[in-house]
Amino acid sequence: MNTDYRSMVDAGAGTVDRRIFSDAEIYRVEMERIFARCWNFMCHESQIPEAGDFFLSFIGEDSVIAVRDRKGRVGVFLNSCRHRGNAVCRAESGHVKSFLCTYHGWTYDLEGRLAGVPGYKSFYHEALERDKWGLIPAAKVESYKGFVFATMDPEAPALDEYLGEVGRVGLSMAAAHGDVAVVDGVQKNVLACNWKLAVDNLFDWYHVQTSHASAPLSGYLPKLPYSDDDQIVSLGEYGHAISGPRSTPEIRAQLAATTSKVPLFDERWRDTPEAAAALGPVGVASRGHPNIFPNLWIASSGVQLCLRLPRGPFATEIWWFTLIDRNMPAEQRRASVQRMNHTFGPAGMLEQDDGENWSQSTLATRSAVARRHPLNYAMNIGRGQISEAQQPGLPSIETSINEHAQLWTYRAWADWMAADDWPALKRDHAIPRGVV
Amino acid sequence: MPDAVTPGTSSTLALRLEVETFYYDEAALLDGRRFGEWLDLLTEDIHYWMPVRRTRISAQLDSEFSKIGDMAFFDDDRKMLEMRVRRLETGYAWAEEPPSRTRHLVTNVRIVGVEAELITAESNFHLHRTRLNSDESNWLGLRRDVLRRESGALRIARRHIFLEQTVLLAPNLSNFF
Repeated sequence: MNTDYRSMVDAGAGTVDRRIFSDAEIYRVEMERIFARCWNFMCHESQIPEAGDFFLSFIGEDSVIAVRDRKGRVGVFLNSCRHRGNAVCRAESGHVKSFLCTYHGWTYDLEGRLAGVPGYKSFYHEALERDKWGLIPAAKVESYKGFVFATMDPEAPALDEYLGEVGRVGLSMAAAHGDVAVVDGVQKNVLACNWKLAVDNLFDWYHVQTSHASAPLSGYLPKLPYSDDDQIVSLGEYGHAISGPRSTPEIRAQLAATTSKVPLFDERWRDTPEAAAALGPVGVASRGHPNIFPNLWIASSGVQLCLRLPRGPFATEIWWFTLIDRNMPAEQRRASVQRMNHTFGPAGMLEQDDGENWSQSTLATRSAVARRHPLNYAMNIGRGQISEAQQPGLPSIETSINEHAQLWTYRAWADWMAADDWPALKRDHAIPRGVV
Repeated sequence: MPDAVTPGTSSTLALRLEVETFYYDEAALLDGRRFGEWLDLLTEDIHYWMPVRRTRISAQLDSEFSKIGDMAFFDDDRKMLEMRVRRLETGYAWAEEPPSRTRHLVTNVRIVGVEAELITAESNFHLHRTRLNSDESNWLGLRRDVLRRESGALRIARRHIFLEQTVLLAPNLSNFF
């Protein structure tokens, strides 16, 4: 088949070839060229505070263990014994002294070193070079404000450079909520959709009125004072973006007046000097949703993170991480956690209705005739003036509801897919300038 | 948490029959999509809760389920459940439009505590759902209820639902358990 990935995303016409959501070979290349190359979100530091605490995560479809060692550092290792490949960790999270392979008993310490081999003397005759057979480590592991990321590619830039201003602003929206820690209970479920259609939706402020019509009608979601005609889109390096409505001091005052115990709508944290310093003027005004390319959505203005993990072209695992200020009063914390339980996750008043849309969209990328016809991402196309005037380093568009961030995600996707390695990606990928 | 196994009490056959009949009637209301009538079976102070479950080694099973106050799939009071029912009645609740076809099977009913007007009952359930042409979901698990007798009739004052799945193998939880 045609593997000219850039031809599958037509930025001029605003169309995307449906085959990118269903083709098995394209999916295989995504695992190699995107997930095995990019920085992947692992967990928040608060989930693994003590030596031996671990959280099982994924890089693409590779199971990886994020674990804190005795020196306090977080390591990330492939969850696969070097002998026969069996998983060395089968719990989703917990606490260990070491990782024991249940097949033949090879044992790895918290730094991934092969520490024990049954029969090392009698069967291996001490000829096994144990220092060469430790768990496969991530090429790099770094944290940004407590959010742990890992990459399997030694050529990847440092995390800070990878995130760029858009990624840093996005994560700072979460960090700005105080001394944040993950609330126990990562919600996980599987959707029958391609991972990109889930990611695509996080920028989509157009679907709310239809997909989520039942939320205001049932009395769950109050009318929020944001304007569909006053939106900000920021485009970041490597495909990161933030898109959604503008928040203003007037809107924040209005929201605060209607906020009781539940701080979800209370956006006054944006008016603090810390927020101004971390986010800049556009970041402060940006009530949109950030995505750290490829698959980390920073939702609800930073109190929840949603990870979309590919499970073949036709399945995606959705993981919700919830953050809350450790110092929040108990009553407010209870109300806030409950509100988050009610909004997102598979039983969420908003999220329940999303999955089937994405599944049906994915289905219609497989069939012979439907897949001949591209999807339409042309809303507002040719009207998006990109400018850094408001905040240097944060190229942004001020506009009405649009599909610029989605189209940028797919353009960046094509750049990642077309690049043979990190140097090629850096050379051939750039944030657009002028009008999109 | 469904911690130690509490032996069934030597309650009367009549009480167990009453509780079972109550559950079968409840299941019939849910499968018949008569959600308003289902709400009538709940007390004003109901807590309807489904914690997050995760795979843990046996020595750390005490943290297998998230705790009340932390993240959960359901953590609802009556007002929230009424809102969920109202949502289903809007005609715009796409997860249930067209409606799913559900069948609740309730079994292994055990009365594990009787204290004045409060009855603690455990039951196993299988909720089978089909949607559209071929979508199928299955949920099996344990319900631990506190039932309260109000004006002579049983009402659900607490329902804690412990699913067998850790990663939910369903696109959503748009039905009641």
